[in-house]
Amino acid sequence: MIMFKRAVSVVSMALAMQLLGGCAVAPWERGTLAKPQMALESNPLQTELRGHAYGAREAATGSSSGSGGGCGCY
Amino acid sequence: MPANTASVYMKGAGAAEVNRPAAARISPALQALTAAALLLPGLTEPARAADDEASIQYGHYEESPRDVYSRVPTSEFGFDLKKIPNNFAPITVDSIHVQGKTLLRDRWRFTANYSEDTWSGATPVATAPAGFGGNKAYGGGGSVKHTDPSLGDTITGATPYIQSLTPVFDQNFNPVLDKGLDADFNQAYGFGPQPLTHTMTMASPETRKQGDFKLGYEWDEAAVDVGGGLSLENDYESRFVNWGGRLDFNSKLTTLNFSQSYTNSTVSALLDHDSLPYLGFIGYQLNGKDDNGYYDGSVNEGTLHGKREDIATNLSVTQVLSKSALAEAGVGYTHSSGFMENPYKATYAFFVDPNSFDAGSGVYLGANTAAYTEQRPNKRNQVNLNLRYVQHIAQLDAAMNLKYNYFFDDWGINAHTFEGKWVQPLPWGLTVTPTIRYYSQSAADFYHPYLVLKTAGSGDVNNVAAYRALIQQYPNFSSDHRLSAYGALSGGVIVNKQFARGLNLEMGFEYYTHQGGLRLGSGGEGGYADFSAYSANAALKVDLDTLGRSLAESGGGHHHHHHHQHGPAQPAGLMFGHMLNMADDWMIGYQYMYGKQAGNLLQGTQPISDAAITQNNALHNPNCADAQCFVAPTDMTMHMHMFMVMYAPTDWLNLMLMPTFMDMSMNMRELGGTNAPQPTDADPAKALVGSAVNHAGHEHQTGGIGDTNISALVKLYDDKLHHLHLGLGVSAPTGDVDIHLRPNHAFELGFIHYGMQLGSGTWDFTPSLTYTGHHDDWGWGAQIQGIKRLQNHNESGYRLGDMLQATAWGSYQFLDWLGGTVRGIYTTQDSLHGEYDGLHVPIGTMDTPANHGGKYWDIGMGLNATIPGGSMAGNTFSVEWIQPLQDNVNGVQLEREGALSAKWSYMF
Repeated sequence: MIMFKRAVSVVSMALAMQLLGGCAVAPWERGTLAKPQMALESNPLQTELRGHAYGAREAATGSSSGSGGGCGCY
Repeated sequence: MPANTASVYMKGAGAAEVNRPAAARISPALQALTAAALLLPGLTEPARAADDEASIQYGHYEESPRDVYSRVPTSEFGFDLKKIPNNFAPITVDSIHVQGKTLLRDRWRFTANYSEDTWSGATPVATAPAGFGGNKAYGGGGSVKHTDPSLGDTITGATPYIQSLTPVFDQNFNPVLDKGLDADFNQAYGFGPQPLTHTMTMASPETRKQGDFKLGYEWDEAAVDVGGGLSLENDYESRFVNWGGRLDFNSKLTTLNFSQSYTNSTVSALLDHDSLPYLGFIGYQLNGKDDNGYYDGSVNEGTLHGKREDIATNLSVTQVLSKSALAEAGVGYTHSSGFMENPYKATYAFFVDPNSFDAGSGVYLGANTAAYTEQRPNKRNQVNLNLRYVQHIAQLDAAMNLKYNYFFDDWGINAHTFEGKWVQPLPWGLTVTPTIRYYSQSAADFYHPYLVLKTAGSGDVNNVAAYRALIQQYPNFSSDHRLSAYGALSGGVIVNKQFARGLNLEMGFEYYTHQGGLRLGSGGEGGYADFSAYSANAALKVDLDTLGRSLAESGGGHHHHHHHQHGPAQPAGLMFGHMLNMADDWMIGYQYMYGKQAGNLLQGTQPISDAAITQNNALHNPNCADAQCFVAPTDMTMHMHMFMVMYAPTDWLNLMLMPTFMDMSMNMRELGGTNAPQPTDADPAKALVGSAVNHAGHEHQTGGIGDTNISALVKLYDDKLHHLHLGLGVSAPTGDVDIHLRPNHAFELGFIHYGMQLGSGTWDFTPSLTYTGHHDDWGWGAQIQGIKRLQNHNESGYRLGDMLQATAWGSYQFLDWLGGTVRGIYTTQDSLHGEYDGLHVPIGTMDTPANHGGKYWDIGMGLNATIPGGSMAGNTFSVEWIQPLQDNVNGVQLEREGALSAKWSYMF
C-alpha cells in the first residue's frame, strides 16, 4: 500500500514536473514564438474594426472592452 | 531596454535552437545570455507591435436590404401576403481610425486613437405578423395619396405607422390574415402559420467621434497602463477609463494579464415625431426623472433620457506550451446598470378583447394595437470565458490561431463564438490570413417579436391602465433582433504587404450572414430577420522605428532629414507646397482641416436681414431659387482628414496620393417673418415643404470618404535660394454626392443640401504653381492654385464652381526646431452650376445653386515644429489658423468664422 501511495506520488510529481518542465522553453528556443504570425492578435486593427461591427449586432459581443464604441443604436 | 532589441536578440538566437535538447548542459555564455534575455520585457509576447508607429485605417460596412412583407391588395376587395419593394438604402457605416504609438524614455508607452464613423440607412424599428400590414407604401403624408411622382409617390417603403394594422387572431391567439372579400364577396381569413415582418425606418446620416489614449509603464517583468476616452454622438455620450497590468513569471513562460474599465454613458434620444402619435412612451413617463430612462417632452416631440454605467473586469493567463505553441485562457465579468434600451426600438402590443370573439368566423376581431418603446431590465451581469490556442505549422511557417468564447448573462442569453485564423507568410513581404467565425446565441428571456394581451386595450398608446396591464404580464420586453436567437457565420481574408522602410499596407474583407436558422441546435428566429453584410477596409501602418533605423544605417546620405528637412517653414494649410528633393525619398502625412461658418447672413459683403431675404422673394428673388425661403443656416461645420503619401521617383518629379475622409454638420433656423406651411397641410405640395422645414429643426449631419487627389509635382527651377515647381493633379470623385435626407412625416425629402455632399462628384483638374525662397532664418513663398471641373455635371445633376486661389507668405525660424508663418490668401470660387436632377425640397438659402462660392480675403498665421534628432527625428508638426478678413459671397450665404489646419508629416 505504501508502495502504491509512493508510486502515485512519484507519478503525480512526474506529471507535474512534466507539465511545467515540458513547458520549459528556454529563451533561445523561442525564435518561432517571436515570429509575427505567432502573435495572439496578429491583426489588432482588423480585430478592433470587426469587433466594433459585431458589437453593434450581437448581444454577447463588445460588452467587456471598456473602450467606448458608442450606442450602436441602429 | 526597448522590446525591439529583444526581437533582434531573439532572431539572432533563433539559429541556436536547432536540434538542441531541453535545457541541458548549458554553457556559461548561454546562461549569461539567458539571464540577460529574461530581463527583457515582454518576451512571452513575441510579436509585439512597433514601439513608434502611426497608422490610419478606413473601413466600409454595408448590410443587405431586409425583406419586407405586407398585406397588399390582390383584387378589388381581396388581400394577400406579399413581399413589397423596399427602396430604402440599407445600413452603411464608413469609419476612419487614426492611431499613434510612441515609446517615451525607454519604458513609457503612449498610444492615442481617434476614430470616427458615420452611419445611415434603414433599420428595423418593430416587428409584427406580416399579415397585419405594418408596412405601407409611401404616399403623400398621412392618409393623403397623391399622384405626382416628384412628390414621392413612387417611393415604396415602410412607415412606422401602426394605425392601419388589421390585427386578427384565432381562438388560440395566433395571428390570422384578413384576406378581405373573396370572389363570392364573402369575408375570407387565412389561418395557419404566418411569417413576421420588420417595420423599417430610415435614418439620416449620423456621425460618432471617439478619442482615447493609453499610457503604460514597463518593468522588466511587468507592465501597467491607464487609459481613458470619450465617444460623442448627438444622442449618446460615453466617457470611459481603464487600467490594467501584466506580470511575467515562470521564466517568462507565463504571463498574467489584468484589466478593468469603467464606462459612463448618457442617452438623449430625440424620438421620431412621425411615430410619436403611435408610439407609447408612457413607461418612461411613469418613471419620473429616473436615470433608468425618462421621457421629456410632449406627445408631438420629446426626448428619451437615460444614464448607464458599465464596469468590466478581465483576467487572463498566457502560457507558452512549447517551442511552437502558446495558449491563453481568460475570464471576464461585466456589470451594467441603468438605461440599456435601444431608444429607437419599439414593440407592438395587441390588446385582444376576450369578448370580441366571432364564433362564426373563428377569429377575434378589432384588437387594439399599440407600440411601446422597449423596456429592458436595468441591470445586467455578463460573464465571458475564453480560450485561445496558437500553433506554429513548421512545414508552411504558418500559424493557426483558434479562439473560443462562451458568454452568459442574467438576461438569459448564452452565446458561443468560434474563431479560426490561418496566418500564412508568403514571399515578397506578403502575409495572407483567411479567417472564419461562427457565432450563436440564445434569446433574451424578455425577447418577444410582438406581445399579445388577452385584455381590451384603450386605443390610446399612452393610456396608463393599458400599460400597467402590459407590464404586469411583461415587466420587460424587446423585439430587437439582436436579442433574438440566431447564428452568424462569417468568413474573410486579411492581406498584409510589408514594404521597405517600415511601411505596411493591410487590407481586410469579410462577409457576414445573420440567420435564425444558423443557431447552434435549433429554435432560431424566423427568416424575416435574416440579413447579410460585408465589410472592407484598408490600413496603412508606418513603423517609425524601422524608418529611424534605416535613416541611421544609410549614413550621411539622408542626413538632411535630421535638420530642417522641409527647408523653411511652410503654412500648414498650404497644399502641394513641398517637394522631396532626392530620388527615392518618401513622405507620409496627415492633415486635419476644420472650417466653420457662423454669424451673419451676408449678401455680397453686407449683412442682410431676414425680412430682406423673404420679402424680396415675392418679387422673384434669386436668393431662394424662385421659391419662398423659410430657413437659413445658423452654423455649418466641416472636419476633414487628409492623408498624404508622396514619393520621388527622380529628384525632379514627385508623385502624390491624397485620400480624404470628412464629416459635416449644419444647424438651421426659421427666418423671421415667414409662415411655413405645416406638414399636415391639405395641399400635398405645401405639406412636403412643411415636412422639410420641420426636418430642419434639428442638426443635419453627413460624413464619409471624400474626394481623392492624385498629383505630380514637377521641379522647374532650383538653386540654393530659390525654388519653383508645378503641380498637375486630378481629383477623383470618390466622395458621395447623392446623400438623401430621411423621410419625414411620410414624405421622401430627397437630396440633402448641396454643401453637405461629401465630394464634387466630378473629375477635377487641380494645377498649382509654387515658388519658395529662403535666406538664413527667413523664408518666403507664393502659390497660385486652381480647381477646374472637367465635367459639366455630376451623377446628381450639378457641378461645383471652379476655384482659383493665390497666396503669399513669409516665415521665420525662431529656434532650430520652431518656425512661424504669416500669409495672405485670396480665393475666388464660381457658384454652383446646374441643380439636383432628382427630388430635392429647397427650403432655405443654402438650397439655391446661386448661393455658393464668392471672393474671399484671409490672413493665416501658423507655427511649425520639426523634431531635429532622437527617435522621432524627421517628424514635422505644423498648425495654422486662417482668419477671414473679408467675405464677398455670391447671393446670400453665411459668414465664415475661420479655419484651422494641423499637419503632421514624416519624410524618410
